[in-house]
Amino acid sequence: MKIVVLGAGQVGATIVEALHDDHEATVIDLDAARLQALSYRYDVRTVRGNGATRRVLQDAGVEEAALMIACTSRDEINLVAGTLAKKLSAAQTIVRTSNPEYLEAWQERQIDVDFMVSSELETALAVSSTIGVPSAKQTDVFADGQVQIVEFDVPLDSSERPPTDAIREVVGLELKAASIPADSKVASIIRGDRVLVPRGDESIQPGDRIIIIGSPEAARAWGQIMARSKQVDDVVVYGAGATGLAIARVLLDQRIRVRLIEPSEERAREVAEELHGARVYCATGVDPDFIERERIGQADAAVFAMREDAKNLYAATLAKVHGVRFTIGITHEPISIEVFEHAGIDVAVNPRSLTAEEIVRFAHDPRVRQLSMLEGDRFEILDITVREESKLVRIPFKELPMTGSLIGAIVRDGTAIFPHGGDQLEPDDRAIIFTESRRVAEVEKAL
Amino acid sequence: MLAARLPRPGALGVDVGSAVNLVGAVLKYLGAAFLFPATIALGSDEPVWPFLVSAVITGGSGLALERGTRGQQVIGPREGFLVVALIWLALPVFGALPYVLADEPQLARPVDAYFEAMSGFTATGATVLTDIEAVDSSLLMWRQFTQWLGGMGIIVLAVAILPRLRIGGRQLLQTELAGPEVENLSATIRETARRLWVLYVALTLAAIAIFTLYGWTGADPAMNLFQASAHAFSTLAIGGFSTENESAAAFAGVTQWTMILFLVLAGINFLRLYLVLVRGRLRAVSRDDEFRLYLAFLVGGSVLLLLELLGGDLTGGGDAVRNAVFQAVSIMTTAGFATADYTQWSALAELTLLLLMFLGASAGSTGGSIKVIRHLLMFRIIRRELEQTVHQEIVVPVRFNRAVVDDRALRGIVAFIVLYIGLFALGGLGLVLDAKRGTLEVQSFEALGAAAACLGNVGPGFGFAGPFGSYAPFSDLSTGVLTGLMWLGRLEIIPVAVLLTRGYWRG
Repeated sequence: MKIVVLGAGQVGATIVEALHDDHEATVIDLDAARLQALSYRYDVRTVRGNGATRRVLQDAGVEEAALMIACTSRDEINLVAGTLAKKLSAAQTIVRTSNPEYLEAWQERQIDVDFMVSSELETALAVSSTIGVPSAKQTDVFADGQVQIVEFDVPLDSSERPPTDAIREVVGLELKAASIPADSKVASIIRGDRVLVPRGDESIQPGDRIIIIGSPEAARAWGQIMARSKQVDDVVVYGAGATGLAIARVLLDQRIRVRLIEPSEERAREVAEELHGARVYCATGVDPDFIERERIGQADAAVFAMREDAKNLYAATLAKVHGVRFTIGITHEPISIEVFEHAGIDVAVNPRSLTAEEIVRFAHDPRVRQLSMLEGDRFEILDITVREESKLVRIPFKELPMTGSLIGAIVRDGTAIFPHGGDQLEPDDRAIIFTESRRVAEVEKAL
Repeated sequence: MLAARLPRPGALGVDVGSAVNLVGAVLKYLGAAFLFPATIALGSDEPVWPFLVSAVITGGSGLALERGTRGQQVIGPREGFLVVALIWLALPVFGALPYVLADEPQLARPVDAYFEAMSGFTATGATVLTDIEAVDSSLLMWRQFTQWLGGMGIIVLAVAILPRLRIGGRQLLQTELAGPEVENLSATIRETARRLWVLYVALTLAAIAIFTLYGWTGADPAMNLFQASAHAFSTLAIGGFSTENESAAAFAGVTQWTMILFLVLAGINFLRLYLVLVRGRLRAVSRDDEFRLYLAFLVGGSVLLLLELLGGDLTGGGDAVRNAVFQAVSIMTTAGFATADYTQWSALAELTLLLLMFLGASAGSTGGSIKVIRHLLMFRIIRRELEQTVHQEIVVPVRFNRAVVDDRALRGIVAFIVLYIGLFALGGLGLVLDAKRGTLEVQSFEALGAAAACLGNVGPGFGFAGPFGSYAPFSDLSTGVLTGLMWLGRLEIIPVAVLLTRGYWRG
């Protein structure tokens, strides 16, 4: 299909990289040098000009395109381009924004584009799932953070680390008898080479790897059960830019204590006024006196979301020196991920690549809003909108055939529901489905 | 035209002409207010002419001031301060005319008459009368009526009525309205002023009806339409003037409880009260930080006083409860009515009452003193200060009802409280020093009490100036000082203090 990408920056380039093989892509940007670099690397057409104008969009062939992705770093340009494209063509439009209020307006259908992605929110969700569920191996977020999929290694019993009471009430018991946190399901148990989609008589054993699907609270509860260290509840965020603010918001929502450090007095004041509950410091955060006085070293985790990678790296290293156990660095240059991890930062997150991934997921199949791969190729998590004519509609869950797939959650009118036996699918529901890779086509057809 | 308005270097930066012009325009209408006591005089066979002459003098002076100055239609923000200060100085001058003209022996001297009129308009309730009941009923009703006019504010009324104040009225109204400018008034300024007065009139009528009903049904034999109106006026204005020597003690318990209710209502921010009573939006007060603290202060003050009364064995049973609640509410909301002579209570109870004088009612109410919102924000300012002492770099916004209060407003509150305490101390000191010149013996507690009672627009103080006493023993100089304190207290100091700065007058 034909795809128009507006913006040849990092996000645009990542998207083009993922899509150029199978699709015909045209890239619009103001910067000729960027376009040239891109066209040398990939087989794409380029158009130079302001993508928020009709003429340029038409030059780029938006009228025949099936998908238009506006991913410049400027919200308003993206919005104008997305809205124009919607009027000029039948293309699906994806708009990147950094403003949570635009995102909210879109979710309430007041902005007419098909999909909106916020780098800041994606980053914040990624950070929060890493922090909120510290012992999880891998986490994925669906339906704007209402559904999480997390993977745990069940700790082996040992004499130094006897199992906690919480673990004993879950591990080793038949699932129907175990105290599993509300709003969650065990999607899969991986034991050695065997992969089980468990029934009620199955049980989790020490050493298993388990995959959980459930609400963020449930994921947190699972994290607490599986945690080998103390639960995270005190996080320091360096940098109160849009990203830092989004991270703080998401963490505060999870009732985590947040301290924000921002060098600009004006910005610090702004953020302090906007955020209820966070403690905001106007400081550089790299002054040893400050770190000592405010006991930064006692924080469970620190996130470095300042504008410069080098500063983030320095501050993170300093925080490590002062005893912070878990550090997450936000990076802006692609290469920084390697640098950060080499330098001992625990997790490095690149907002632009998260954004690009999110957009690519949507581009693959708009019906499958998000698609995530777990355990190599063996499992997939599908996010599918249920069609009216699906044969599974309006049948209670307990009567659905067992097929090796599991409906982990339903998103109905924007709210996540974690279904029980009596619930049923309705048309237009978004179903979050955990399934084996070979059954993907089967599931998509059934719904 | 434009060139003519630009001040020359070194010229006066304030358009005094325009300010005086507006003062004249407002005074002009005050003349009509004398017609009300005139009808009372007519009905009770008392001389009518003092009121008619007063009306003519007031109306004529207003007209003369208006004609004699060339005023701009729209007055600027600078002139606003001058207008408000001048109006509140001029009002009692004209309001005192009937007292002097009627040849009332207790108010014959202009200093005393001016004090009484200032106490009336500022809704203070301090009096130089020693035998209130000996005064003509028409004069007494004028006293009560001045409280009612001044309670909600003459300028608020003018903004509601005079079309020329549609522009520029916001600042005038903010200056006269009680409390700091923390929240922006919604709606147009005329609508705001109108709402305030509509509610004020409605509540007053309700109080008159209820009090009269008590008289008719015999629930309170001392009550009649005259007493009902007189006390409704001074209750809703949170004034404290009474037509009885014994103040509220002259009435039955049920009347006193009703007065408590109306005082508590009048002490709520009227803009919020309007939303509750007219629009049925209970949240306007239930979610209001100030209202909650106001209630807590009232309850706390009442309980404290009750404990002291019971502990000191001063009164017992139901009387103790009623007396404690009445005095606490009356003093804290800055009314100054009394059901008991609290100067006979223990020193601890007296001190409690003195401290209650500094709390005051809510912003946007008819009460005076420092007001609950300032105490609330002052507490939050101090809490922030302590927080920043430990965590030097922390940024803590001060909030009121979840909205952030800007630093200028906060500095204004600190400045106000400092000035308030300073004036209170200076006032007390002045009274003691002045007493030293003469033969009058004034205890320092009494001097401080009188200063606090006048500055806070409470009314009765302690000792001879207590609730059943009088300010008459004070010398003329002291009376003048106390009159000034009432004026400063009503205008909340800052608008007057501004006039004393050189920058105000310079171009």
